[in-house]
Amino acid sequence: MKEEIHRLNCYVENKPGVLARIVGLISGRGYNIQTLNVGPTEDGTVSRMRIDVLGSARVVQQIILQLRNQVSVIEVTSRRL
Amino acid sequence: MKTKQRTGARALVEALERVGADIVFGYPGGNVVDVFDELSRAPFRFVLGRHEQGCVHMADGYARASGRPAVVVVTSGPGLTNTITGLGAANMDGVPMVLVCGQVPLDQIGTDAFQEADTTGLTRAVSKHNFLVHSADEIPETVAQAFYIATHGKPGPVVIDVPRDCQQALTSAAYPERVFLRAYHPEVSATAAEVARLAKLVNGAKRPVILAGGGVIASGASEDVAAFAHKAGIPVATTLMGIGSFDETDPLALGLVGLHGEFAANAAIAEADVLVALGVRFNDRVTGRSPAKFARRAKIVHVDCDPASINKNVTVDLGITADVKELLMTVDSRIRPAAHPDWIASINARRRPRTEGLRPLHRGVIMPQTVVESVYGATDGRAIVVTDVGQHQLWAAKRFRHTCPRHFITSGGMGAMGFGIPAAIGAALAKPAAKVVAFLGDGGAQMTAEELMVASELKLPVTFIVFSNGSLGLVRQMQRHQCGGNYFATDLRSPDFVKLAAAYGVRGVRVADGAKLDAAIARAVRSKSPTLVEVVVDREAEA
Ligand SMILES: Cc1ncc(C[n+]2csc(CCOP(=O)(O)OP(=O)(O)O)c2C)c(N)n1
Ligand SMILES: [Mg+2]
Repeated sequence: MKEEIHRLNCYVENKPGVLARIVGLISGRGYNIQTLNVGPTEDGTVSRMRIDVLGSARVVQQIILQLRNQVSVIEVTSRRL
Repeated sequence: MKTKQRTGARALVEALERVGADIVFGYPGGNVVDVFDELSRAPFRFVLGRHEQGCVHMADGYARASGRPAVVVVTSGPGLTNTITGLGAANMDGVPMVLVCGQVPLDQIGTDAFQEADTTGLTRAVSKHNFLVHSADEIPETVAQAFYIATHGKPGPVVIDVPRDCQQALTSAAYPERVFLRAYHPEVSATAAEVARLAKLVNGAKRPVILAGGGVIASGASEDVAAFAHKAGIPVATTLMGIGSFDETDPLALGLVGLHGEFAANAAIAEADVLVALGVRFNDRVTGRSPAKFARRAKIVHVDCDPASINKNVTVDLGITADVKELLMTVDSRIRPAAHPDWIASINARRRPRTEGLRPLHRGVIMPQTVVESVYGATDGRAIVVTDVGQHQLWAAKRFRHTCPRHFITSGGMGAMGFGIPAAIGAALAKPAAKVVAFLGDGGAQMTAEELMVASELKLPVTFIVFSNGSLGLVRQMQRHQCGGNYFATDLRSPDFVKLAAAYGVRGVRVADGAKLDAAIARAVRSKSPTLVEVVVDREAEA
């Protein structure tokens, strides 16, 4: 399947360990993160992570579902770049 | 909410009481000594394992046998690192568990303090979730959340890392009335359209098959699967984790599927026009290396509580994220009674007789399959069967006729050798009235033999059966087929298991004569105290 860059927008709990968990979930499955941007939102208890990953639509869909399963992930959306 | 002031350690133990813990497994150490001080006064039972891996496998066996979440308490550093295999096994098979771990005081974290380990880092990949507590005030709520997460959605182990100063500090935080997790909403249910499509597929099927997995047992849906299968006339195959979810003495039962599965089960799936997969995750032991070819003639329906498991390994025609039991109850009224006599007859024609290829002896040596038959006979098929990992595991899976859920306990996803002895102890603690039989290899039995001391100390009536084939049999079998018979590192010297058992205070007996097998097994399973039967079996037998 064709590999493309997908941009994931994740809203997550702003707590220690969450970034490591998200990054580990993606890299632990053998996918390389191209770009990663993290910062707090106006609601200080929520962080926004923008993650660009290279992969097929199927793989990226799988990553999104796994992210949504995480206890600290509030919302994930994605688009192809 | 506020309550009376007490230490964090006391608050932790109170919270364990609140969630209804009746047994805590564990091992003490410096950074968890305050929690143990409180455990000494708790109303529940404490079981001291002999190695933290053993503690976690014990808790795992307890949870699988009872369906209730298990609790483990260990110390920081080496105590925690010793739990990793146990956590991994529980995580892979979706076993509910909460592990509390001591940690160095907050101000020492990151300083390479004595017995410091990065608990959240180390357990991330082998747990469903983990917490590092930052103050005593967080303890009651964290425990409540941990149990909620461990038991909701797909169950799994949750780790709570508690720094020593948080155990000692005072807090008046109360146990929460309800758990609020903003980001975690594991409740799932099928849409009306999905239910309608499922019913339409099933009602229109000519060659339907049900594949039942561990999710059926987790959701308590065994009876619903049986009702569905009988009403719609659908034969049922199971995965390794699904063993016991459907009565194998039922005429519709096909038995185990996949790599080590029954011929008739695999053939039925290959020819099915509709496959209804319930609570499975289509792992590679089930599908083989090319999942695209799995059930290639069938429209596949996949029902699972975990949205991420749908379309993960096998692309399906209808994926339904739902609780299996709830879905089957909902769809029931739309299912038309059917019998599919021709289809069932064609499957039955492919069944191999259970006793095919089964000789009691080979060149005078006991065939391992006979040992399983003997236990089946001696227990009227009602034992809780616990296994280690290897050839004996596959014989136990396939030769025993499993009839009810939570009576076959095995490390399926992780395949962790060393699981058998401690998991059997945990199962016996959870089900004191049941007969627990552990099937062990001579290799795996040496990995966690120290836990025999626990069975002995607590006088648990577990029967430990060691299949003595002088080898790491399953790997040796691979070497026979894949390495041209170049057997390397799989010949295994073992201690005298009877003497080893005796050293732990467990009565042992060695059987090499086939004529004495049934009597020895019958005597062992009748015993009110732990017994070990070492059976010398043929090392060339194939699993
Ligand atoms: C902890 C661990 N290490 C290695 C393995 C790989 N392995 C799978 S089966 C097996 C052989 C098991 O030998 P034994 O316990 O004697 O059982 P048998 O196959 O002979 O019945 C090995 C080494 C494993 N599953 N778990
Ligand atoms: Mg062996």
